[in-house]
Amino acid sequence: MPSVFTVDPRSGVPIYLQLIEQVKRSVAVGALAPGEQLPTVKQLALDLTINPNTVARAYRELERDAVIETSPGRGSFVRSDGAQGVATKTRDDVARDAFSEAIREAKSLGLSRSAASALIAQTLDRWFPKEEASS
Amino acid sequence: MSTISIQNLSKSYGSLAALTHFSANIEQGSVFGLLGPNGAGKTTAFKCMLGLARADTGTVLFDGAPLEPHMFERIGYIPERSVLYDWMTLAEHLEMQRRAFSRYDANRARELLALFSLEPRKRVRSLSKGMRTAAAVVMAFAANPDILILDEPTTGLDPVNQRAVLKLMIDASAQGKTIIFSSHQIGQVERAAETIAILKEGKLLLSGAVDDLKSGWKIVEGIFESDQFSIDGISSDPDVQRIERTGRILRVSVRSDSDGIARRMTELGARDVRTLDLNLEDIFLGAVEARPKEQSLDVLR
Repeated sequence: MPSVFTVDPRSGVPIYLQLIEQVKRSVAVGALAPGEQLPTVKQLALDLTINPNTVARAYRELERDAVIETSPGRGSFVRSDGAQGVATKTRDDVARDAFSEAIREAKSLGLSRSAASALIAQTLDRWFPKEEASS
Repeated sequence: MSTISIQNLSKSYGSLAALTHFSANIEQGSVFGLLGPNGAGKTTAFKCMLGLARADTGTVLFDGAPLEPHMFERIGYIPERSVLYDWMTLAEHLEMQRRAFSRYDANRARELLALFSLEPRKRVRSLSKGMRTAAAVVMAFAANPDILILDEPTTGLDPVNQRAVLKLMIDASAQGKTIIFSSHQIGQVERAAETIAILKEGKLLLSGAVDDLKSGWKIVEGIFESDQFSIDGISSDPDVQRIERTGRILRVSVRSDSDGIARRMTELGARDVRTLDLNLEDIFLGAVEARPKEQSLDVLR
């Protein structure tokens, strides 16, 4: 199976965290379906030319976060039980990180809380016009 | 079955301390990268591990036992300088390897020769520097060892063959083999190694898992309105490793609590405070070029 993942080893973001983010994102947007098999640790390590123990570390954390499950001898799979909940949870995580980054940037530019809040409201109006009208 | 434990290894050549109190633990199935400027002691460390140089102090244990002659065939070694014989062919070198290593795999040797497009009938004399490196890689991996000690295994190779060597190391690690290697190409170490040590002038400067080092260090950068700004509460912070001020810009290398330093910088009047991740090259240069913190602060006062 061709790998859908990419990592930038030269980034300051640890490689295992990059992998975790990508798997969660793929699950969140449905690029990885519930029950879908992930590449083996060795295969992904060779595809991306990264250390196998680094891949194994990412898989362990994804298991702990209940995103994937591994059965010995069969491989790692996206969890099918409650996958909807997993996906929603990780979707929230991805969105929360993006919001945090934007708000941190606004703060470091010297915006006040009310100025930032006004910008957020404007941006929400642009992307969610119907909801705004109905509420 | 191949954990390597290096304890307190020291080696001097006359008045030159090539290696001073070097310790490292290399788990079975892991890839350990040794980084350092020329003359840092990397090759000396390898030679002491293999018994090719007698350490002044310290021990190297393989699964808890010192190196014995019968263990040599479990260890593959690529020396820094080629030890191939100019007048012999690659096939003859591989024949020597077959006699010396009982687990030598002839099929594997053929695959590896093909991988690097090496012609076994060729004499070493006619090989380029990169081809000699590739030949050494073929010999080490065809011996099917449990432990690979690779002193700059990609020297002179083109990018495609460099990548091929990294993949061989990754494949070997996935099979549970233990690998220790050195390289000046930090990008290679960043990919292949899970744990690294940085040496300089024979001394260990830093070691740990690459991903932990990356998540453990941040640079916080802020711009002030004038170059007369205070660094109260930053210079005294025990997590701050390095402070650089250039005009109105302050850059602080910090371990762990970067948010606290970023907040403090904002309180001191900095604008556009950014927290930057450090890659392995930043960490390497920071360690190798770092002045002691006190000294850099003295300069500032």
